[in-house]
Amino acid sequence: MRYRKITPYLFLLPMIVGLFVFRLGPIAAAVFASFTNWNVATAPVFIGLGNFRELFASQYFWLVLRNTVVFILIFTPGVMILAFIMAVLVNQKLKGIAFFRGLFFMPYVTTMVAIAMAFNWIFATRFGVLNSILTRWFNVSNPPAWLSSPTYALIAIAIVAIWKYSGFLMMIFLAGLQSIPADLYEAAEIDGANRLQQIIQITLPLLSPVTFFAFIITVIDAFRTFDVTYAMTGGGPNFASTTLAYYVYQNAFIYQRMGYASAISMILLILVAAATFVSFKLKDRLVTYAL
Amino acid sequence: MSILRPRFFRNLFSYLVLSVFAFTTIFPFLWMVITTFKSRGAIFAIPPTLVPDLLFKPGMWDSYIEVLTRYNFVRYIGNSMFVSTMAAIGQLITASLAGFAFARMEFRGKYILFGLLLATTMVPTEVVIIPEFLLMAQLKWLDTYLPLIVPSFLVASFGTFMLREFFSSIPVELEEAALLDGASVFQIYRHIYLPLSLPAMTTLFLIAFINNWNELLRPVLYISDSDLRTVTIGLTTFQNEYGAQWHLLLSAAVVSILPLLIIYIFAQRYIVQGIATTGLK
Repeated sequence: MRYRKITPYLFLLPMIVGLFVFRLGPIAAAVFASFTNWNVATAPVFIGLGNFRELFASQYFWLVLRNTVVFILIFTPGVMILAFIMAVLVNQKLKGIAFFRGLFFMPYVTTMVAIAMAFNWIFATRFGVLNSILTRWFNVSNPPAWLSSPTYALIAIAIVAIWKYSGFLMMIFLAGLQSIPADLYEAAEIDGANRLQQIIQITLPLLSPVTFFAFIITVIDAFRTFDVTYAMTGGGPNFASTTLAYYVYQNAFIYQRMGYASAISMILLILVAAATFVSFKLKDRLVTYAL
Repeated sequence: MSILRPRFFRNLFSYLVLSVFAFTTIFPFLWMVITTFKSRGAIFAIPPTLVPDLLFKPGMWDSYIEVLTRYNFVRYIGNSMFVSTMAAIGQLITASLAGFAFARMEFRGKYILFGLLLATTMVPTEVVIIPEFLLMAQLKWLDTYLPLIVPSFLVASFGTFMLREFFSSIPVELEEAALLDGASVFQIYRHIYLPLSLPAMTTLFLIAFINNWNELLRPVLYISDSDLRTVTIGLTTFQNEYGAQWHLLLSAAVVSILPLLIIYIFAQRYIVQGIATTGLK
């Protein structure tokens, strides 16, 4: 194929404009803004590391950071284990299995805000169906006020996030499972290995590249949590369910502190980059490509 | 005794576990729909009733009618349709052009550009949203559809990756025949690559449409005029204003995910395959 030197760039023009105007430009601007004192009304004033000093001295920042870690620690294993079980289940040759696959994936394509409303109603303290079941069937005398409880609010939004994303990861795992050659299982069966042994000895090691990929996108997703928090708790009560991404939004657009919020977004960016970097460093030790 | 083979029990067990998962998946949807068929008083019954009091009775659809006529949800759905369609078409244009260049052409800076595109996909929206907001304010684009369409139009990283892969898999011989006929590069892209990648383009369109339909942060920041609201921001403002009217809130929620469910049921194959093979989102 013959073309002029400029032709590829013409094809790339919309993408390059997008990359610079909506990605690289804003990232650079956010780095700059993180060193300034800036509310929307006045011009930014350079204050060096002032925002970061204020952050590290703020008890709220440490609370939000702790919440982010707790959320990741609940969400990541929760969603990955469930998705793996679901993938193994729907990987069987059973009648109607396509229906179950389609059903399990459905929450992923629905709107988080609408889902959050359904769960707000399920989690409602007095009239919610969950607490009604807890008191009636399980004799819990004082069920939690889920969304307005400092202890349970974060757990509740993590449960909703797990419910919504497990079908998505299931599909990723399923694609991985289907690439494992069937004769390995047949050989194992002849050797007398039971189903559980087969999963531990064959499935898990051979699935590890897919698991690794799933792990990275799950952790990055967990850092980005916004919609579910916005629609269920608004970060409350008293920041008990605020995670970093939501804290950026609150500081920028509720408290109008653009510089301070940019500094928080830098911490978020550094943590996401660090998590990705560390995962890739450990990749060769954790991932098996062949048995 | 032929029916009592271990295989039978294993399948039975599988169906049992599958049903538990299926119930957990369906229950929030089911409970949402049940509540919409309850009257104002029945919502707050203790314990909650499983069978809604207005089921198959006059007034069954009242809360839906109220949401659609009094509370402007028809308008919100129309807005979401428009914004999501425009953004998805934009992503197709941007991603197919860029994917074609990455798959079929050699040029200076190719790997740097591709690397930058890949690296910036990991950057959370919350990092870029503050400068983006100020840019939109400068452009006087607040309270227009443009901030909901243009960034999504131009930033099409995953679509670019996906179509690059797809275009690379198309045999080069096809374009050589066209070259003999004197076709230009753009004609080859337009008349050979685009028609051949129709399934991939469909997948990309649907996923972009769904993602834009579900977008919350940008409408929250950019839209305050109630006539311009998309369904997500329409739902959250509705929740703030009518917090205790659960039958209305949940009717609105059902109405706003219904278009997605219809698309999903009819185009499941495209959506699921696209996501499963690329991890696209």
